[in-house]
Amino acid sequence: MVQPLSGQAIYVVLLRELKQYWRAKARIISSVAQSFFFLAVFGLGIGSFVGGFGSINYLSYMAPGVIGMGLLFGSVFSGVSVIFDRQFGFMKEMLVAPVSRTSIILGKILGGAVTASIQGIILMAVAGIMGAFTPTITLVAGALAAVGVMLLITAGFVGLGVAIGSTLNDFHAFQLLSTFVIWPLFMLSGVFFPIDVVPLPLQVAMLFDPMFYGVELLRWCLLGAGTPLLGPLGWLISLGVLIGFNALMIGVGTYLFSRAQV
Amino acid sequence: MSKINNIIDVKALTKVFNGKVRAVDGISFTVKEGEILGFLGPNGAGKTTTLNMLATLLRPTSGSATVNSHNILEDADAVRRSIGYVFQDPTLDLELTGRENLDFHGRLYGLERIVRQQRIEEMLEVVQLTDRADDLVKTYSGGMKRRLEIARGLLHHPKVLFLDEPTLGLDPQTRRSIWEHVQRLNQEKNVTIILTTHYTEEADYLCERILIIDFGKIVALDTPGKLKARLEGDVVSLVFKDPAVIVRIRPLLEEKEWIRSINVVASGNSYATMSHMMQMMRGMSGSIGIGGMMPGMDSGSIGGRGKIPKQVQQMLAKGMADENGQRGRDKGAKCLNLLVDNGGHRIPEIVKLVDEAGVILESVELHKPTLDDVFLSVTGRDIRDERGSFMEMARRHRIVQQARGRRIRG
Repeated sequence: MVQPLSGQAIYVVLLRELKQYWRAKARIISSVAQSFFFLAVFGLGIGSFVGGFGSINYLSYMAPGVIGMGLLFGSVFSGVSVIFDRQFGFMKEMLVAPVSRTSIILGKILGGAVTASIQGIILMAVAGIMGAFTPTITLVAGALAAVGVMLLITAGFVGLGVAIGSTLNDFHAFQLLSTFVIWPLFMLSGVFFPIDVVPLPLQVAMLFDPMFYGVELLRWCLLGAGTPLLGPLGWLISLGVLIGFNALMIGVGTYLFSRAQV
Repeated sequence: MSKINNIIDVKALTKVFNGKVRAVDGISFTVKEGEILGFLGPNGAGKTTTLNMLATLLRPTSGSATVNSHNILEDADAVRRSIGYVFQDPTLDLELTGRENLDFHGRLYGLERIVRQQRIEEMLEVVQLTDRADDLVKTYSGGMKRRLEIARGLLHHPKVLFLDEPTLGLDPQTRRSIWEHVQRLNQEKNVTIILTTHYTEEADYLCERILIIDFGKIVALDTPGKLKARLEGDVVSLVFKDPAVIVRIRPLLEEKEWIRSINVVASGNSYATMSHMMQMMRGMSGSIGIGGMMPGMDSGSIGGRGKIPKQVQQMLAKGMADENGQRGRDKGAKCLNLLVDNGGHRIPEIVKLVDEAGVILESVELHKPTLDDVFLSVTGRDIRDERGSFMEMARRHRIVQQARGRRIRG
């Protein structure tokens, strides 16, 4: 069946996501607090005996990773929330309307990306206040670029969440999802340690983690450099991988959502 | 041209699930503009499946239909714009306000800002929710939620409104108020309404015509008055102390030519058990939310399709024991309904006959035929008593619930 897109439908689903995000203050606060604890305890704690990597101190090194953590958790859960829409029946209201499923899911992905990125911006500000970034003119440009990167990262991971949420029927699977998908993606993204100092198997695993490239790109934006392993064009490689990941995940998410049961 | 005032025209519509369950079996009927038509039938009869096909949510296995002159197979979007659908299970966003739920709907159906706001105010007024419009829906009562859903279903000015079990689980007072709203909307907006129900009194009160559906087939379609008039005479109900005697007394009664029909009916209490069980089954299929609808259900079973709550398991086990072990001494069926002319005058004769057979009567009742009796006469089963074929119904219901969701159209 041909599925024409409706801008109005995409917009209204996006609007609903924003409203729900804004109303779930507890979620915003807990996510910001969690990231703050990571930065404060690990950043300062581990930083005090590690010192830093090269010219970058440990807190600065960790900051883009912690922002990435917020983006990752926010976006995947936002996508997985299609389970709740199904469970509480609201999905039927959307599906009986004269709009395509593709429009609905694109609205969902866009909404998830925007809300998770707002979260990322808050985290970026928190890290900035904690002194993670050197305040220069280039930082302003970098921060703006980082916002774009955030949208790019989150869109793909909302797609992943939608794909998972369309496949699972069960709240119980949440725990498994968290343990086997989100945490590995997070831990392998190079938040705590640079890829070039770890053993080869771990390096390979990290290179398979799309989130690794997201964090890399954030580092390029906010610190002006990435890992030496990917070379001076590391940002371009990361950008390419992320765009590919996005296309794949939005496609898979849309497909699985279209054929999912209600 | 009959097509012009037939807003719905259904031809041999059929839905087969999993290649074996004929949920809807070649039904044909038409609905006139402005009519209120009721689908009456027990759970699993095919009512919701029919609605879902007409709403283009489910693709028919064969047959076709037009809604507002649009073919459900060829022009799904036009059909969707022509209808409003109030689903059996709640479909509101509880985290949004009443007004926001309506606003979301209006936008989804492409209503311009000014029109949207105007209609939202109007519909809130109609369903008397204006003063609660800006509260979150999760603070609403069951009746308020239902009214909001009905308002939402009408926001885009559909020609036809589908109401799937509009008053299921509501208290009698709220039910009455929903009925009044539905009638008023039908009259004021000239909206054609198709509703499904398994409450005979609801169908009787609201509907101009009733379509009785059983095992996917139409078994009767007429006005409530004409349906009842089919059963000329009176219904005499004989209640026995010991259900076992029914087997003995029935042949004696069958000999009397003035008794037009005899039906074995359950006692009232199996009804409560049934509707309770059906509610749980719906929970089982994962389609009902958590909030307070099923107080007895433990949260561990929520969302787990195929997981059967303990209570239901026990009830199913009990039901099977009843069916297998107690066939003769059926606790549910201790009542015989006789359709006779001039029932009042026949009672002494009936009592004498029963007395001579040495059987003890508990009580005798006389009443005019109701829709319950009509249902019984056309299906051979009591609408309240799904015991006889309960295991079959339960199985059907489960398969349909599961398959229905899987194949829903986007």
